[in-house]
Amino acid sequence: MLSTDKLVVAYGGSVALHGVSLRIGGGETIALIGANGAGKTTLLRAISGLNPVRSGSIHFDGRPLGTLASEKRVSLGIAQAPEGRRVFPGLTVEENLILGTTPWRRWGQSPAKDLERVFDLFPRLKERRSQLGWSLSGGEQQMLAIGRALMARPRLLLLDEPSLGLAPRLAEEVYERIRQIAAAGLTILVVEQNTVLALAVADRGYVLENGRVVLEGRAAELKQDARVREAYLGR
Amino acid sequence: MADFIQLFINGLALGSVYALAAIGFVIVYSATGVVNFAAGQFVMFGTFAGVAMLANAGLPWPVGYAAALLAMAAFGALFFIVVYLPLRTSPVVTVIIGTVAVGIVMQNAALLGFGSWPFRLVSPLEGITIDIGGAAISAHAAMVVVVTGLLVGLIWLLFYRTALGIGMRAVAQDVEAARLMGLNVNRLLALSWMLAAVLAGIAGLLLGPMWFADVNMGDPIALKAFAATIIGGFGSLPGAIAGGLFVGLTELLGASYLSSAYKDLIAFAVMILFLLVRPQGVFGERIQDRG
Repeated sequence: MLSTDKLVVAYGGSVALHGVSLRIGGGETIALIGANGAGKTTLLRAISGLNPVRSGSIHFDGRPLGTLASEKRVSLGIAQAPEGRRVFPGLTVEENLILGTTPWRRWGQSPAKDLERVFDLFPRLKERRSQLGWSLSGGEQQMLAIGRALMARPRLLLLDEPSLGLAPRLAEEVYERIRQIAAAGLTILVVEQNTVLALAVADRGYVLENGRVVLEGRAAELKQDARVREAYLGR
Repeated sequence: MADFIQLFINGLALGSVYALAAIGFVIVYSATGVVNFAAGQFVMFGTFAGVAMLANAGLPWPVGYAAALLAMAAFGALFFIVVYLPLRTSPVVTVIIGTVAVGIVMQNAALLGFGSWPFRLVSPLEGITIDIGGAAISAHAAMVVVVTGLLVGLIWLLFYRTALGIGMRAVAQDVEAARLMGLNVNRLLALSWMLAAVLAGIAGLLLGPMWFADVNMGDPIALKAFAATIIGGFGSLPGAIAGGLFVGLTELLGASYLSSAYKDLIAFAVMILFLLVRPQGVFGERIQDRG
């Protein structure tokens, strides 16, 4: 469904990704793991069109994305819950969610069903539907960011560090929801520093170090890999 | 008492015009982060668009008003493309100097087109008065207050009840996240400028019959609208409305009960007081830096 080929992304003079190639098949859940600064967020931003690509290419459904604008990529079906959640602070929970329907919603089309589905997944958001974004807890903001991305009716969901800054109990809850979303058949690419959580939901994984893919394989194999265990699982 | 009622309504009418100018200013500031020092000249353009369509072209007033506001919307779009887009990554001082410069250009363009002789823009309700508690209220002043009230309601509906308005608020809060929602950010920013220009245009059309249409009218309006936003709270829409009404009321009541030489004293003294004691204004919002 999505593939990157020898992708190079740079900020000014410093190169963040040195030719990253990966592919994601329809229905797969892929974990992208690695330390802080390995280039994980840069890769997601490049896929969403927020960072310009220096060389290499990104294909979605076999079609090169080139310099397509971010908002058009969302229309193609690539939604992202970005790093730091980026919930709109001055908008209510419901307004945040409704904004997610921008790519498909036309006059007279109701977001009610999509809203219901997100509220079923995250009942807490329903309780807080008329509260402003800034007043939510970290966990609620993360749920809102994921729910908002789902409102776009995506075919590929990009999640950037959904466990960041959450208490372990809450992080597990968020991952339980991600497992449910994946089980419903959505293709997911999740970037994560919490390797245990990410590999538990993923089918396959890529390990990124200093802007390069150093390891890839089935999640179960990665969990057993000596290098992964030493570097990321604390053993 | 009759005098007071008359002054009060006229003050509300003048304050309504300041409020509309201030709302346009606030919409642009919150959406784009630009402090538009040409905001007063936008209002002046609105008045002269009315002069051009009604007095010069001789259009009947509903058509003339609509044509004037369409011209203002087009001007807002032009301003977005010619002034905002090239300057949007520049330092804030450059943008400020840019809008000041464009304001001077606008003023001189009006001087070139219309000359320095003031015009009289006739109200559709010219000469009609309403009796309220023994006071003779000009129907135009009453219309200004009513129209402003309706517009405020419409603006509220736009920003809080339509997908378009919610999108405009989202862009004002986080441009990148707005892109990730699939919003066309440039289109929404252009709409913010057009909306601000149309509101300034309405302010200009309403103000025309109350003052003379004079190419130098923009600066005093900009100062009053600016005072209104500081008193009400920079970046706040309710603040722009409350501040505008306050400035208009103190101007007319002050001129009558104190001295016409000091009519602006109260509003600006209050503004300075707010800057010293409560810089976030009445409806103060958290001061935040933009990325």
